Amino acid sequence: MVSLNAVLGVATMLFGIGLYGLLQRRSLVAMLISLELMLAAVSMNVIALTSRAGADASMGQVVVLILIGVAAAEAAVALSLFVAIHRSAHTIDVEQLSEMKG
Amino acid sequence: MSGPIQAALLAQAAPLAASAAILLGLRRHPAAAAAVAIAALGAGFAASTYLVLAVANGSAMAQAVWLPMADGRGLAFGVLLDTLSTTMALVVSAVTLAVMVYSLGYMAGDPGFARYYGFLSLFAAAMLGLVLASNLLQTLVFWELVGLASFLLIGFWFDRPGPAAAARKAFIMTRVGDVGFLLGVLLLIRTLGNATIPELVAQAGPGGAFSPRFTAIVASLLLMGVIGKSAQGPLFTWLPDAMEGPTPVSALLHSATMVAAGVYLVARLHGLFAAAPDVMRVLLWVSLVTAVAAATMAMVAEDIKRVLAYSSISQLAYMLMALAAGSVAAGFFHLVTHAGFKALLFLSSGIFIHHAHSNAMREIAAHSPTRQRAATIGLVSGSLALAGVIPFSGYFSKEAVLATLGVHAGAAALVLAYLGAGLTAYYAARMVFLTLRGGQQHGSPTAPHPTLAQQAAATMMGVPVLVLSALTLILGWTGSWLAARLSPGAEPHAALELGAGPLTALALAGLGIALAWREYGAKGAARTGFVDRFPALRAFFADNWYLDRLYGASVVRAAGWLSRAARWHDQQVLDGAGDGLAAGTTRGGRMLARVQGGQVQMYVAIAVAVLVALAVWLAYAEGLR
Amino acid sequence: MNPGTLVFGISAATALVGALLAVGLRNIFHNILGFALAMLGVAGVFLGLGSDFLAAVFVLVYVGAVAIAMVYAVMLSHPLDQPARPRSAAKVWGAAGLAAGAAAALWMLVRGAPWAAGPPVEPVGAAGIGARFLTDYVLAFELISVLLLVAMMGAVMVARQNREGTGRW
Repeated sequence: MVSLNAVLGVATMLFGIGLYGLLQRRSLVAMLISLELMLAAVSMNVIALTSRAGADASMGQVVVLILIGVAAAEAAVALSLFVAIHRSAHTIDVEQLSEMKG
Repeated sequence: MSGPIQAALLAQAAPLAASAAILLGLRRHPAAAAAVAIAALGAGFAASTYLVLAVANGSAMAQAVWLPMADGRGLAFGVLLDTLSTTMALVVSAVTLAVMVYSLGYMAGDPGFARYYGFLSLFAAAMLGLVLASNLLQTLVFWELVGLASFLLIGFWFDRPGPAAAARKAFIMTRVGDVGFLLGVLLLIRTLGNATIPELVAQAGPGGAFSPRFTAIVASLLLMGVIGKSAQGPLFTWLPDAMEGPTPVSALLHSATMVAAGVYLVARLHGLFAAAPDVMRVLLWVSLVTAVAAATMAMVAEDIKRVLAYSSISQLAYMLMALAAGSVAAGFFHLVTHAGFKALLFLSSGIFIHHAHSNAMREIAAHSPTRQRAATIGLVSGSLALAGVIPFSGYFSKEAVLATLGVHAGAAALVLAYLGAGLTAYYAARMVFLTLRGGQQHGSPTAPHPTLAQQAAATMMGVPVLVLSALTLILGWTGSWLAARLSPGAEPHAALELGAGPLTALALAGLGIALAWREYGAKGAARTGFVDRFPALRAFFADNWYLDRLYGASVVRAAGWLSRAARWHDQQVLDGAGDGLAAGTTRGGRMLARVQGGQVQMYVAIAVAVLVALAVWLAYAEGLR
Repeated sequence: MNPGTLVFGISAATALVGALLAVGLRNIFHNILGFALAMLGVAGVFLGLGSDFLAAVFVLVYVGAVAIAMVYAVMLSHPLDQPARPRSAAKVWGAAGLAAGAAAALWMLVRGAPWAAGPPVEPVGAAGIGARFLTDYVLAFELISVLLLVAMMGAVMVARQNREGTGRW
């Protein structure tokens, strides 16, 4: 059987890669992709930690399903926002979208 | 006892609700406003009457905790019903009701008619609340509300400079005394944990927890409030100026409410004050001096309302000296009769003023005043009561006061009190003669036929005056009933026995009236008083014994320096600090603004860095490793 | 090497490679393809951990739906005709450093945490999850349904073109 630490390690790396993308990519769509990667890493952790004795395995799966639902909703709204932003600002480059500058 | 308590709550709540309704909703409906106010106060009057009948002896108290404190004690809000408070409530609501009816005529057509009734209702609610309060802090709250309402009423014609200034003066001068009152109440609460009136009176009395020293301190602090409110001693000068308000308001302030609140407080806490004999001696002498001083000022005043104002100060002093000498019954008896005849005098003078459009007595005399029959009857009977002529009410109550002084206060006090009584008779008679007799008739000798509305107004004003005139003849006989009601154990005072004391008083009153007749009343009299032969003395009397000038030169100027210093401190130190803070904030903001570059990814980076650092720190702090 | 470990190893490698492609490549379409690959890998990891149902859902939702939606969004919003501006080196290295630091710190925490490391439990099938959703977690289930409905309507409203010049939708 796979050791717990191996799964957690993979999840941490996935999270780090996602974070890197979130911080570095300029395209909003790419940032959303990175965000989804980070969420997937979180789901992986939840499943790994609830697949051991003493935990309620079905509860972990329920949590992850809810996570997926939220992530899907978020993706749908975010993508439509990108389209709307592009329509008004003619770009989805976050470095140029700085109207909130203080 | 639940019935009386509900009645007491009704008596307070009805005028308050009426005031709120008028001021919030009926400002543009004068007739409805007056109807609401009078109906509410009528309910209050009925409730008070019921209370007097229901509470024949003993006392009842109902309290609800208002401000709970940590140690389980707390400040309560409630009503205290005993013979004193119910009687006072009846007097207050009766006089206020008379004034309200009278004002229907006096204030008719005034643009602020509805506002006037709103303020009157507020005043009535505050005064009834003060009278029925079970707790000294509650008393203070209503005390200040009375002050506020009187400020509003004195300054009712706020667009004229005189009333506005008078209202300010009244408010500020009474506030000076109220500082003492507030400190006294706070001291009591600190020591006792609450300020429930029966309890603190019990604690101050023999066998109570208060040391004599503490009782004396509290009593003198509370006395400051009394002196300010009842216009005694050094703090009286606001009262004559308060004449700038509408005349019915003066009647209200001077008879049973505002100024009587101070007297009532002393009566209410008589147990506490009696336990501080030194303070009582101070009060006795302050009131004796005030009684005589105010009488001298009344002797030279030319304005009828000012004469009445000085006489109020003087008569209040009589009430306080009776209380100071130890008799609640005598002082309160004088309060009741004074409430009746002083309201009567003001309301009568209001009718004259209404017709002559002037407050000056010589000016009124020129407008054929005797044609106002109700007012003439009222002025004469009120003045006879004020002068203390048998069988008018003032005679009996003043006699009770003087008898108390004779028993408990000593010869010097008694002599001063008799002197004041003689002067009172003199100035009362002078007022009557100056107002009603002589005077060159100018203006039209035959007044134009009054319109229907004017007749209605005259009726509205005449009825309360006639009722109160009748009361001056009746109230005097209530003395023994009051005495039995207020201090059941004590010997009822025999004011009717014509001993040496009453004869002296009557003789002095006759002397004063005779002197006034010779100088002002008789045909071909010079219409100048004996004081006028001494211009310096006259000026001294007419100028409030120069007290206002003294205040102007000392207190007001010192306050000016103080406020200039405060302004400098404000502008240089506080504003300087504020400006420095603002500049620093601006600079700091500019520096921080660089962080807010509008770059979302920078925000994310900062957030992640902080969150991770936080997570690590928390984990180590929790000892996970 | 038993089959479970083998499946896990292959899936984990797929997920990480896909993730690297998803963030590292410059073409946004390539990124989406890499993302789909990473999600397949994550689904494989779930499979290895005994959550078959979840693996299927992951593939369906992410590879099937989200990735397709992303393609549409890119087609509607990405100015492909404009040349990409060069990346700033400071930003790349800063992001990499921060991400690596954060991952290292998290790893330290994860490794140090006292997880209950017992034997694996009996996997729960779709039937068990469904039962839980309709009993203990029925409120969460309903909430998610409402959330998805609202998100769908919101997305439609936001992305809709307003009528030219009228300012109304």
